[in-house]
Amino acid sequence: MAVQEAPPRVPPAPPSSPGGEPAHPPTNTGTTNVKLAIWLFLASDCLFFGAFISAYLLYRGRPQTGPTPQQVYSIPFTSVSSFVLLMSSLTMVLALAAIQRGDMRRLRIWLISTALLGSVFIGGQIFEFTNFAHKGLSLDTNLFSSTFFVLTGFHGAHVTIGIIWLMSLWGLATQGRLTQADAEKVEIAGLYWHFVDVVWIVIFTLVYLIPPSK
Amino acid sequence: MTDIELRDEGGVPEPVPAAAAPAMLPGEVRPHPSPVQYVVIALILVVITSFEVSLFYLEGTIPNSAIIPLLLVSAALKFGLVAAWYMHLRTDKPIFARFFVLGIVAAVVLFLIVLSSLSVFS
Repeated sequence: MAVQEAPPRVPPAPPSSPGGEPAHPPTNTGTTNVKLAIWLFLASDCLFFGAFISAYLLYRGRPQTGPTPQQVYSIPFTSVSSFVLLMSSLTMVLALAAIQRGDMRRLRIWLISTALLGSVFIGGQIFEFTNFAHKGLSLDTNLFSSTFFVLTGFHGAHVTIGIIWLMSLWGLATQGRLTQADAEKVEIAGLYWHFVDVVWIVIFTLVYLIPPSK
Repeated sequence: MTDIELRDEGGVPEPVPAAAAPAMLPGEVRPHPSPVQYVVIALILVVITSFEVSLFYLEGTIPNSAIIPLLLVSAALKFGLVAAWYMHLRTDKPIFARFFVLGIVAAVVLFLIVLSSLSVFS
């Protein structure tokens, strides 16, 4: 892949307070504490989702009553949902690139696009859950339904929190309270958003696509 | 007073527009990818996802022993692309990647502990 020539970069400067004093003292890690904190949070969230995915895989294929995954899944529908979430990751990085350039108009466009794509994903998940309920699959029907709803439900909750976060940033940008100096705020939100995307990449493959053992 | 007048009188020239010089973020070691590169990565992700879905429909035609590893490798590839390019792990300080890998390894270890505690291996 060809790497484009990057424009000259502005050296990193610590975020400053309205008084002009650095708002964040230098750290021995060479980065801000908030960025370090979000990565620590994401690392801990790996364990959170790891536990639910483990539980799903553990009970996968066990004899049970009620509808089975093959009877309820709609792979074309979930594939479209996955595509939507992948594209939301693209719009998120484009929002970050826009604020780094100081292009606030495009920042607003990409932020609201990301939130809308996330909302489409959540709408799809609500539709899927409702459809499953109509087929007789609820949280306490069997081991599959319990582990499936808990895993995908918590992922959906993460996406919903991400949408609220993005809408807050979009609101600040619309009011002119988000400037180029606040690019790190968009990056932090973006890291969270990409994390829910990579978790869905794992869920889509392990939960929906891998055929059951015979 | 216009910009030209300022320069003619020896005034301070207009600063370079911010759009021409993207600000580096804390922890950024090398420049982040360009928007074009982001779009290329998205296209690769779409191609891999299409491949995964087509594999699902080939069940019965291709043995599961071939489908499952291909699906797992595809998912790992997508995971790696998003983490490296969109989460900027390839251009940011290595400490972030270490944290993230630590979380993933801990999740896998947790999975193995759960399996062994439930006597799945015996």
